Amino acid sequence: MNDLATTADRPLASRKSSAWRSLASKAASGLLTLLPGVALLAFWQWASGRWIKEIYVSKPTAVAARLYELFASGEIFPHLWTTGQELVLGYVIGVAGGIIGGYALGRSPRLAKIFEPYVMAFYGIPKIALAPLFIIWFGIGIGSKIALAAIMVFFLVFYNVYTGVRSVDRELANLTLVMGANQRQLTYHVYFPAAAPYVLLGMRMAVPYSVIGVIVGEFTSSIQGLGLFIHEASSTYDPAGVFAGIVILLAFVAVANFLAGRLERRLLRWKTLTATAPNDI
Amino acid sequence: MNDAVLSFSDIRQDFPAPGSDAGIRVIDGINLDVGIGRFVAVIGPSGCGKSTLLQMAAGLLMPTRGTVHHRGRAVNAVNREVGFVPQQAQLFPWKTLAQNVELPLLLRGVATAERRERVAAALDAVGLSGFERYFPSQLSGGMQKRGSIARTLVYRPDVILMDEPFGALDAQTRMVMQNDLQMLSHNAGATVLFVTHDITEAVLLADNVAIMSQRPSKLLANIEIDLPRPRNVFEPFKNPGFEDAYDAVWTVFRSQIGIRNQPH
Repeated sequence: MNDLATTADRPLASRKSSAWRSLASKAASGLLTLLPGVALLAFWQWASGRWIKEIYVSKPTAVAARLYELFASGEIFPHLWTTGQELVLGYVIGVAGGIIGGYALGRSPRLAKIFEPYVMAFYGIPKIALAPLFIIWFGIGIGSKIALAAIMVFFLVFYNVYTGVRSVDRELANLTLVMGANQRQLTYHVYFPAAAPYVLLGMRMAVPYSVIGVIVGEFTSSIQGLGLFIHEASSTYDPAGVFAGIVILLAFVAVANFLAGRLERRLLRWKTLTATAPNDI
Repeated sequence: MNDAVLSFSDIRQDFPAPGSDAGIRVIDGINLDVGIGRFVAVIGPSGCGKSTLLQMAAGLLMPTRGTVHHRGRAVNAVNREVGFVPQQAQLFPWKTLAQNVELPLLLRGVATAERRERVAAALDAVGLSGFERYFPSQLSGGMQKRGSIARTLVYRPDVILMDEPFGALDAQTRMVMQNDLQMLSHNAGATVLFVTHDITEAVLLADNVAIMSQRPSKLLANIEIDLPRPRNVFEPFKNPGFEDAYDAVWTVFRSQIGIRNQPH
């Protein structure tokens, strides 16, 4: 029943060896995870030039060389800077708007009754179709890309927050009022923490969407940015350049996902607990 | 009874029903007084609106007709002078046990040092010292229930409203909890309004048992239970006079539940 006690009672030596064992098993499972990726890269390297012309698919070593060259020469930095700005600003604006909108509509049934049909209708529009329009409205600079990323992120976060706030147990909220909470305290102690898992889920899901928004915007029309770089590489038959651009985007999403995961674990510690108290009443 | 802390006068409650304009009448004219320091149990068949009465006392629901008075004041907004112990423990899953119990004090602006002291005392009273830093998901059902009771006792509400608090517990845990509640409420001199569907529980714990009829419900009787305290909740039949008290309640209550006639 009580794992804590049994671990503490075991002699030190056996605990040490079990720590080693768990480290070894962790390393083994890590290697196992890496295996498919390595196999895919090896196959790509091998098949390129044999099965498929290299001009179509490039090959991992060429992509790596290209990446090195791009960073060594500094050619990529202006693109990175532009796209980075667009991503961060678009994401932040979209998340903020989604949280505010979702929270307001979630708490007020009256507002929800008026605005929900509109939000749902706009939700149905393929946001990518708005790209040309945003270029007209906000120009070919970073404004139009920020708008596109923000609107894609907004709907995702909005919907999650709205659902999260509405899922708060009515009885728990009432109980908190009886305990003496005013509306502000109710928000802070009940609605925020109860909606937090939904907010974080929305934020995490929104990361790739912000990338889509920005890249599509840059494809459509732009002066600078990774999207433009990829677009130009593909129109000059430079698959290594295309893949290099994609790898950079991949790295961005991976980092953002890692950060979101860290935030989630930190804020939602109460959801992921495994230890239990001794079960005597 | 003019020393009533809580008094329900002429309460009627209609709930909207699908496909009818009139709605369903759940409560039809109930008068009930809860005297100071009394433990009043309300029993009745399911769906008779027992819990609805508690909602009204807490100011979470306004009766269709009639008024609830708390110490002479009509309850027409959320009533912060009461404590509510719901059916499920309803601890905040994102707060530790200590933070849960602390919350009402925090909301009421009690100073930090006093908060810490009172939380420790309340947890000690329900036998949960040492589990301060546990989250509710790490506690058993009985412990969560204790936490819920501690969270109510900690701010010393004028009246404690309990809505079938032990209904979801297993039989042994329930007896232990009943015993603890008897002791706690007696020591605190608390006024308690306790809803249950368990006649034994009602008779063992209460000073008065109010019996409600089927829907639309009226008050059938308000029977005083004059058994000496402390009562033995583990062996109900060993309490002198228990059988008579149970019988008095049962005689009224049996008409309200459909029992097929069978020869004794």
